[in-house]
Order: sequence, then structure tokens, then C-alpha cells
Amino acid sequence: MSNINWRTINIDALDPESAYNFDLTTLTPAVQPVSTSDVQTLSGQIRQLVRGGDAEGALRGALENAPYGADDQGKQIHLSTVTEVLGQIRQTEMTPLLQRMYQSEGGSELCDTLMKYLYKGMAQGTSHTTNNSVHGRSMTPQATGFSQAGGRSFGAAEGGGQAMSVFLSWHEKLVEMVGPGSIVRVMSDRRTV
Amino acid sequence: MSQSLRPYLSCVRSTLTAALSLSNFASQAAERHNVPEIEAQSSPELLLNPLTVSRNQDERVFVEPSVNSVRVSIRIKQADEIEHILVHKFTRFLTQRAEPFFILRRKPVPGYDISFLITNFHTEEMLKHKLVDFIIQFMEEVDKEISEMKLFLNARARFVAESFLTPFD
Amino acid sequence: MLLLDYQNLLIESQLRERLKPDATPTTLDQIVSDFDNTTFHLSTPESKSRLLISLSIKCFPQLLQYGAQSVLEREYGPYIVTPPESGYDFSVQLDLENLPSSPEERDDLVRRISLLKRNAMAAPFEQAFDEFASLSEQAKGYTSESAPQGVREGGEVRAIQYREEEAIYIKASHDRVTVIFSTIFREETDRVFAKVFLQEFVDARKRGVQNAPQVLSRDEPPLELQGMPGLKGAKGEVTYVTFVLFPRHLTPQRRDEVISHIQTFRDYFHYHIKASKAYIHSRMRRRTADFLQVLRRARPETEEAGARERKTASGRAFRVQA
Repeated sequence: MSNINWRTINIDALDPESAYNFDLTTLTPAVQPVSTSDVQTLSGQIRQLVRGGDAEGALRGALENAPYGADDQGKQIHLSTVTEVLGQIRQTEMTPLLQRMYQSEGGSELCDTLMKYLYKGMAQGTSHTTNNSVHGRSMTPQATGFSQAGGRSFGAAEGGGQAMSVFLSWHEKLVEMVGPGSIVRVMSDRRTV
Repeated sequence: MSQSLRPYLSCVRSTLTAALSLSNFASQAAERHNVPEIEAQSSPELLLNPLTVSRNQDERVFVEPSVNSVRVSIRIKQADEIEHILVHKFTRFLTQRAEPFFILRRKPVPGYDISFLITNFHTEEMLKHKLVDFIIQFMEEVDKEISEMKLFLNARARFVAESFLTPFD
Repeated sequence: MLLLDYQNLLIESQLRERLKPDATPTTLDQIVSDFDNTTFHLSTPESKSRLLISLSIKCFPQLLQYGAQSVLEREYGPYIVTPPESGYDFSVQLDLENLPSSPEERDDLVRRISLLKRNAMAAPFEQAFDEFASLSEQAKGYTSESAPQGVREGGEVRAIQYREEEAIYIKASHDRVTVIFSTIFREETDRVFAKVFLQEFVDARKRGVQNAPQVLSRDEPPLELQGMPGLKGAKGEVTYVTFVLFPRHLTPQRRDEVISHIQTFRDYFHYHIKASKAYIHSRMRRRTADFLQVLRRARPETEEAGARERKTASGRAFRVQA
């Protein structure tokens, strides 16, 4: 005990009343826990729709049933499903599709969800996950030296420019239609995808 | 401008525009203090979901918003050892001159090459859209500058080598 | 100034000044530095008209071993002072009252003395070039397989440790003379820049300068240096640059020029790396100023135009101090 440098102890963390220990769940709307197998079933259904040529319906279905309550693995599965659907839709169809979705019942909600997936998709392959708990925030150490080998790692194929350009063009079309407010809602919504 | 650069920059632009909605917020931990919450990380309640905009694995922007400050980190393209050195030299040069840049962070967030920290005081005394313009222009010019420097280095090396060897000819 | 001069400019101009027909002798005591930790001392210890020029060079014992004495005697014969000034390796003295009369001869003397360092360093090169000549003469009688060991392998490697951690190695063979520079880069930036530069040296032959010596570069000692004592330095820090001089470079009429030129390689190489860094630095400075300009635009104009300029009742304008 005597070895611990008490000056470096974060006393806020020890005080249950302090802002540091603010309970985030009070800000998060209650979400239904979703099991990974449910997500898997859902993604199977969505893929079915895509194969049937109904990309719009597939996207709609995926966004309406975003598994907010799933664990990381389940969210990852759903993300890859959404990514797949987005990749299936051609550039020229994006705007009309978004237009229809936006004007339909609860369309604004759907667009926000889509925006969440776009950012999450672009965050893939980075060390930063989209959870913002202070305690979980760990930065991957990066070699500060010069050596090329240490600093840069070339990760998964999803991180390639091809996938990113799909997200970027969807993002562009979406912002054109719904404006920056949707981005603000992505930042502030505690329900993460 | 290349085909994929335009959507990338426009995405960064709209993301920053959205993220730069800051308000004055006094510290909850210490009285009469006012610190950028994204750096202090004193309360999870004050931090918002961070956003990443990627062009590819090696070029991306990481935006970490909070109630009174936004941290923007940029990872600059580095195709080879020369570009790596040039980027490192350039960003170091800039961060050593962080004082007149106001929003420049002296140290980049790990995994990125350069970071900016924009607080509500910056957005109060400076025009928000111009700040966004600055970051966008910075990203454009940095890439251009790095590749120009690399071209220069190669051209000079060639010229120097040929000049030395020509007298032997 | 792209290429480096072979002579020492300061010595040259000092001597030229003093050897003018109408120059009045003055006292002089000056230390002149040159590349590779070489130091010259110009002084007039006895009288104003007796000018002593001394040279101190790190690897002088090695140079003597490779025949520097005879080269220096050939160049400076009557002017040599023995023993040399204390603290220096080699001295020559000029009697200003007793100089060659014709301006051409005087010019030649000035030129020769300003090339002191070059001539001292030239000895091992000359020796190697001579060895090449005799080896190639011997080799004429044989095919490449049947040549005796000595002719095929070439001569010994001459090492000149001309800086603390850097050296030149020279090796003669019957069909070439190989000159190897070992050079050190402490900084990663220099190392990367050097790599770019060396690549261009290596490629130069493919592009245009076909008759240039072949250049090779590598991070570990080349085969020629195997078993050499004193090869040190952490791996990756030392770069070995090999120049292969072909018979066309070794002809008697070209050898002086080639020796002078190849001696400047290390300094030329480092000089241009530093120059590139300086240029890139100035570029970054300019670019940073541009960025600041852009950022400054983010400040609203009103602050500037607000209360700066006022007028008095009489109409005189004055600036309000902030």
C-alpha cells in the first residue's frame, strides 16, 4: 500500500456522487436486450430480401430493427449486414431511395439510424470503438519512433478505400437531404448501433 | 481534385459543422474552473459519441465532440518511408508553432498525425464556418505539400547524382 | 555551387594576395579548417616574408603507409620543412622574397599549395591506380580462369580512416579499382534522404551517364571488406557506398581529375542532404505562414475596423492604442 503514489489517484472515481461516476444509463432510453442469434436470424431475412431484388425493403428492414440492445458481436453482425445492403444499391438509386424513405412514416428516424451506421462503418478498422464510457477509453499505444514497421498497420480488407467510398457517397447524399441535424443526433443519441 | 477526395472532404466538412455546436460549460469537478471537457474527461455525461470519417485505412479524421470542446485528429496519407518522414517533420514543425495557431493541439492523439482542439471560446471569437474551412484547406494542402516535397527530393537527388557522376564521363 | 571545389579557397585567396608582385609582407597567424577535421595553420613565425603552411589530417600515418611522402615530395619538393611544425603532420614554407619570377609559376605554386589536403589524400589512390596498371599488364597473358591467385583477386585493401567513424577503402584489381566509402547517418531523416539520393546515384548510369563509375550501396560491409579490422557501427547506421572505377577512368591523363573528384564524394553527398533538408524546412515555414493566413480569416473583421482609426476635431487622424 505504501508503494502507491496517492497523488496520482483519481479521487473522483472513488466518490459515487461525483460527475465522474455519472450513470449513463439514466440518459439511455430503455432498450430491449437482443441476443446474437436473433441478430443472425434478422440478417438472414434481410439477405433474403436483397437476393429477391428488394434492396430498399432490405435497408428499411435493417434500419427499423437496429439491434440497440445487442452486444458488440451482435452489433458487428448487423453492421456487416447493413454494409452489404448499402453496397448493393447503385449510385444513381441512392437519392430517390432516400427520398422515399425520408418522406415515409418515421423516415427521419430511419435516416438517423442510417447515419449511425455510416459513421460506424467508417470507424471500422480503427482502434476507437463508438462507445464513450470514460472507463473503457483506452488508446492503443502507437510506436512514437520513426520506424515504418511499428507505426502503421494495414488492417482488415473492410478498411480499404472501396468500402469507404460507398459510405462516403451515402453520407453525402444523406446529408444533402436531412442536413447536419442528423449528424448531431448521431453524436448525442446514447443508443449506439 | 481526385474522385474520392471530394466526398471525403465534404463529409469531414458536414461532420465538423455539426460537431462545432459548443457552449460555455464550467467544470463540474472544480469550482471556478473551465476546462475543455474532451481533454479532462471528468464526466461521461458531457462527452458525445466520437465520429470517424475515413477515406481509406491510412487517411481518416477522428472527431471527438463534447459539451464545450471538440477534438479533431487527422491521419495523413503516408505511402512510404519518405512520406512518413516528411509528414512527421511537417507536423512536428507545426505543433512546435502551436501558439499562433490557437486551435492546434501540441500533441496528436495516438494513432493520428495531428490534432486540433476547438473550444467554445474559439467558436465564440472566430467564425465557425471559417474554422471548418481552415481544417478542410489544411487537409487539402498537407497532402499536396507532402507530395510536392517528395517530388522535389527525388528531382534534386537525381540532379545531384548526375552532376557528380558526369565529370567521370 | 553544385560541385565542391578541390582546393581550399581560403588558403588560395590568402596566398594569392601575398604572392602578388607588389604585396607588402605582413605577419599572419591563421587557422583554417577544411572538411573531415583537417586543419591548416598559416603563419609567419620567423619573419614576415617567410610563410609557413602546416597541415594536420587525422589519417596521416595511414597515408604515409600508402606512399604519401613521395607524392608530397613530388608536389612540394623544395618547400617541405622537416620536421613539420609541432602539432601538425606536414609543413611547407614559402620564402616570399625568393619566389619563382613568372606569374604562371607563381599561380601554379598557389594552386598546388591550396590542394595540399587533396594531394595528401591522393597517395593511396595513386598507389592503387599504379597497382591496377601493373595487374592489368600481368593479366594480359592469362584468361580469366587461368590467372594466378594474386592477379585474379587483386591487391590488398587500403583503408583510410579519415574520420572518427568513417573510412575510405580502396582496392585495385586487374580490370577495375573499387573505392568504398563508409558513412554514418545518426538521424533517421538523413538516413531516409540518403537512401533516396543513393538510389539516384545507382540509377544514374542507366539514364544518360553511361560511362560513369558503377555505384552500389548497401547497409552491410561489401564482400571486398570481409575480414577488415575496425568495421564497426550499429547495423543500419553505416552505409557503404561502392564506386567501381573502370579502366577508362584510370588512364594516366584522367587520373588526377578522377582522384580529386572522388575524394569530394562524402562531403558532397552530405552537403546536398543538408541542403535538401534546409530547403524543405524553408518550404514548411512558408506553408505554415499560409496556414496562419487562412486561420486568421476566421477572426471576424469588426475587431480590426472597429476603433482603430479616429479623427480629432481638427480632422487629424490618429490610431488608438490597443
